[in-house]
Amino acid sequence: MRWSKLSRKLTNGSVTLASIVVCLLLSPARFPGMELLGVAPNWLLLWVVAWSINRNFWQAALAGWAVGLLQDGISEPVPTRALSLLIIGILTASLKKKKYVQEDFISVSLIVFAMSVIAETIVALQFCWYAWRPGDGLTFLHFDEVWSYYQDVTLASALLSSLWAPVLYYPLNYWWRHMQLLEANSTS
Amino acid sequence: MFVYAMRQWWGRYGVTTGISIVVLLGAWSFRQSNGRILYELYSQISRPFEVPEAREKSLIDARTRELSAKLEEQRQENARLRQLIDEAPKNIGEPTFAPIIGRSANHWWQDLVIGRGKADGINRGDVVVAPGGLIGRVSSVSAHASRVLLVSDASSRVGVTVTRSRAAGVMRGVSSTLAVIEFFEKLPDVKPGDAITTSHFSQRFPAGIPIGTVTSVDLSASPAPLVKVELFAPIANLEWVSVHSHVDKPLNPQPKLNSEVEILLEEDE
Repeated sequence: MRWSKLSRKLTNGSVTLASIVVCLLLSPARFPGMELLGVAPNWLLLWVVAWSINRNFWQAALAGWAVGLLQDGISEPVPTRALSLLIIGILTASLKKKKYVQEDFISVSLIVFAMSVIAETIVALQFCWYAWRPGDGLTFLHFDEVWSYYQDVTLASALLSSLWAPVLYYPLNYWWRHMQLLEANSTS
Repeated sequence: MFVYAMRQWWGRYGVTTGISIVVLLGAWSFRQSNGRILYELYSQISRPFEVPEAREKSLIDARTRELSAKLEEQRQENARLRQLIDEAPKNIGEPTFAPIIGRSANHWWQDLVIGRGKADGINRGDVVVAPGGLIGRVSSVSAHASRVLLVSDASSRVGVTVTRSRAAGVMRGVSSTLAVIEFFEKLPDVKPGDAITTSHFSQRFPAGIPIGTVTSVDLSASPAPLVKVELFAPIANLEWVSVHSHVDKPLNPQPKLNSEVEILLEEDE
């Protein structure tokens, strides 16, 4: 199929945007078998990892930040998720994938597991910051409560997210790779 | 030279910079709008999967019978109370029943998405009650969906009293089905099994809504005695809630939804 450059870019952009909307819509939904201790997979984190895995530093950082703002929008905005997802994007993009990990389902799941542990740790540290120095009119968990909740939620979220990672990673990556191939063919 | 360098830079990165700014601005405005567009879309998609209306009907019927039975008693009590005190007793507003269509989108925050919004007369700050008792307050509204911040959320603060002894304190969520109360007195009269309701001092919630039972008491905790409460409403298994309109008592500016520490501290002094 011969596509003009512009229409190809537009299609790619809208498919990418649609995939974010699907992730946003999945976030408040609870389907049977997708829930552990009241926690669902962190779809937006999965999306950021899937995006960043084959992208450069700046693309990953921008996507992480923007998706973090989106997640703030559908939940309470303080403390912000933009910070943790920004860091996740940067870390995933700078992993030495060629050297250490292959791009199969297992390694993607492992990356997602590690990244969700890191993301939850960052959020827990943000909560600790607020416990230590509460902002104006803000009141949050105490240190020991953050710690006990962190233990439960991190394990559940990391397990579920890494199990569901291939469901999102495989089609998205397939699409993006297909688009890259078309791009390469048309320029050569 | 500089202008030339700038122009070269712009020629190379102009489009990328433009796209980056548009993406960030879009994400930022989505955040500022509390994700209203998304929840509108979500409520439309989840409509076919809603629990059938019959459930709502039977709930309303039961509620009506309960209310009509209570009403006569309340009238009599009202008349007597009005004689005793100057203040007219507060009533909880008329309920709107709403299905729960979604749960917290982010597991560090405890909230619910319900399938009724501004079009059904729900406003920000309305009180949300489920069979069993208080569960939270409406924190953002779109046309056909709204988000409820639960009392079990870490940022929730509710002024409460022990029904048996009238000891007053502040209840805060600890991100689970449990909540803790910090009392103002050094040795509050409270023991396991006591029922907890919203306090008369409460500005954001009507007085006397049941919340939960005391499960454990630790009087030696510092800085204030620590009391654990199990919420009455089974939040994880709920399908419908009722939303009651509520106008805050206009005392002073409110910095944060659900946060009542300042008012209660003032009352306590």
